[in-house]
Amino acid sequence: MATSMVNEVKGDDSVPKELLLEKHVSFLREYGQNEDNFEYGITDYLRMSGVYWGLTALDLMGKLKELPENEIVEFVQKCQDPESGGISGCINHDPHLLHTVSAIQVLCIYDRLDAINVEGVIKYVKSLQKDDGSFTGDKWGEVDTRFSFCAVLTLSLLKRMDAIDVDKAVEFVESCMNFDGGFGSRPLSESHAGLIYCCVGFLSITQRLDIIKRDTLAWWLCERQLPSGGLNGRPEKLPDVCYSWWVLSSLSMLGRLHWIDFAALEKFIVSCQDSETGGFSDRPGDITDPYHTLFGLAALSLMGNGALKRVNPTYCMPQEVIDKLELKPQILN
Amino acid sequence: MHGRLKVRTTEEQKLIKEKKQQEKLKAYRQGFQQILSTRHEVPYNQTSFAICSQLLIANPDISTLWNYRKEVILQEIETSDKSNEEELGKFMTSEIKLTEQCLLANPKSYGSWYHRFWVLDRHPKPDWNGEFALCSLYLMKDDRNFHCWDYRRLILEKIGIDLDAERKFSTERININFSNYSSWHYRSTLKQLNQESLDEEINLVQNAVFTDPADSSAWFYLRWILSSQDVTKKHKEDMLCKLESLQELDPDCKWIYIAKSWLTKGVRDGNSVAADGDCFRTLIQIDPLRKGHYNDCLNNID
Ligand SMILES: [Zn+2]
Repeated sequence: MATSMVNEVKGDDSVPKELLLEKHVSFLREYGQNEDNFEYGITDYLRMSGVYWGLTALDLMGKLKELPENEIVEFVQKCQDPESGGISGCINHDPHLLHTVSAIQVLCIYDRLDAINVEGVIKYVKSLQKDDGSFTGDKWGEVDTRFSFCAVLTLSLLKRMDAIDVDKAVEFVESCMNFDGGFGSRPLSESHAGLIYCCVGFLSITQRLDIIKRDTLAWWLCERQLPSGGLNGRPEKLPDVCYSWWVLSSLSMLGRLHWIDFAALEKFIVSCQDSETGGFSDRPGDITDPYHTLFGLAALSLMGNGALKRVNPTYCMPQEVIDKLELKPQILN
Repeated sequence: MHGRLKVRTTEEQKLIKEKKQQEKLKAYRQGFQQILSTRHEVPYNQTSFAICSQLLIANPDISTLWNYRKEVILQEIETSDKSNEEELGKFMTSEIKLTEQCLLANPKSYGSWYHRFWVLDRHPKPDWNGEFALCSLYLMKDDRNFHCWDYRRLILEKIGIDLDAERKFSTERININFSNYSSWHYRSTLKQLNQESLDEEINLVQNAVFTDPADSSAWFYLRWILSSQDVTKKHKEDMLCKLESLQELDPDCKWIYIAKSWLTKGVRDGNSVAADGDCFRTLIQIDPLRKGHYNDCLNNID
């Protein structure tokens, strides 16, 4: 009993109760405007993912035009490594699959894939698959199921799934399934909501959700919801807005979204907004950032919030973008 | 981005903080530029290499900086031979020390964990056993750090796994803290469920749930055990009986209801169907957050 008490949070009466869309728009618009802002400057190495978070969040709010499209597309261009074909987090940094996928997501939202060397990206992703089907994040060899997801996310957006050995890739992800039905980063690694999202998303793209122990996993996922309404990423951990997205989107792909109490989760997510600065944080009262802002909004969208565009649970991109690309990731009923 | 509390400060405190931050940002930018401009020098630029250490201690998530170090290390390996193996070993050991500093400041940094393994794997005289002991020690401090558990597996691949010893380690970890889900998970990876192991596992779980029925960890393990082909009718009846008495002590514990529903599943007589129905209706009352799930369970009974 004691344990469940410790791992909870209480929002006090001062936390927001309404969705503050205008605040979030200005938060995201201004976030990248001052190069010398400390937070912004010191996180340059993950800028590409940052652009994806901010851009997708704005698009879900119907405010894509708030960011300068040409400047962003040019930035993506400059981040492509001509040699490997991979894309880096920012100029002068090394390419990595995590940033390659963000870059492709950004270009798909803008419908500007022509701006980069797509064949180079395909070559890069292909070069990172190992014999056992797994993927490394870059040429230095770290293996993780996150990278399997990034690989198929990228290639499916580029309609080039044929470039890799999909069966082997599925085999590897399947080997990461655990006693609780969840997935970890490598075979025998503990289940974790973020990695479950990656693996379920991977299987949704590869049309192989059949290998999942659906109700075992869905039960584990719905048990992530805590009395505060928020969701945690592993048993006996604190709730966090980003886990709300990972758990919720996984349940959505598994056709078990209704196993979560929407009203309680909405209340928690809304309480993680900052009414002064705008944006969402991981928990009530913490500093906000674009990452939690995207996942907070995406979770609200998945629960049917009418003020937001519909989000696709597999790609974490606006559904209209996925429809336009005629992609049909597997979703169970 | 995680767990940073927003604190109210006076205008004066704010200015001081901003000044410090601007200095840090400037140092980061200058340092990175210095590394960039000397990145391909042979032999490597020692000033840049030292600056790189400082930047990584401040932020171990900048993967390009780890990549630079790996390039330097490969260069050092290539240019050394038997005669200066000892020197190379020292160089690599200091690299491992750096990852230790980074991990102390940020135990969840993927980059530091990976670099540590990468270096050890290329060390002329790697001390895998020492590393294994260190890993155990660290897990005593934080037994939920999944990076460290993953790292343990990587080391075991090197030194060979002693299944009995690992099982004993997991039993110890579980007995110290029943609510440690990571240890339960680890245990599940060491065991094939079969007739021989089943009784021991059932005992362990029962101990845990009787100690703290509200803690979820052991209940997930129980669900897994019950999925085994070797669980007999007798096992189920015994456990059901035990859970009934636990329920008398703790009548509002949802986990006991859930576990009872697993145990009666598949036994399809009229009584159990009615009992299952009652069970899920009670669960909807005491655990309303998951009523969608329990409603589905109710619909599946008939
Ligand atoms: Zn988070």
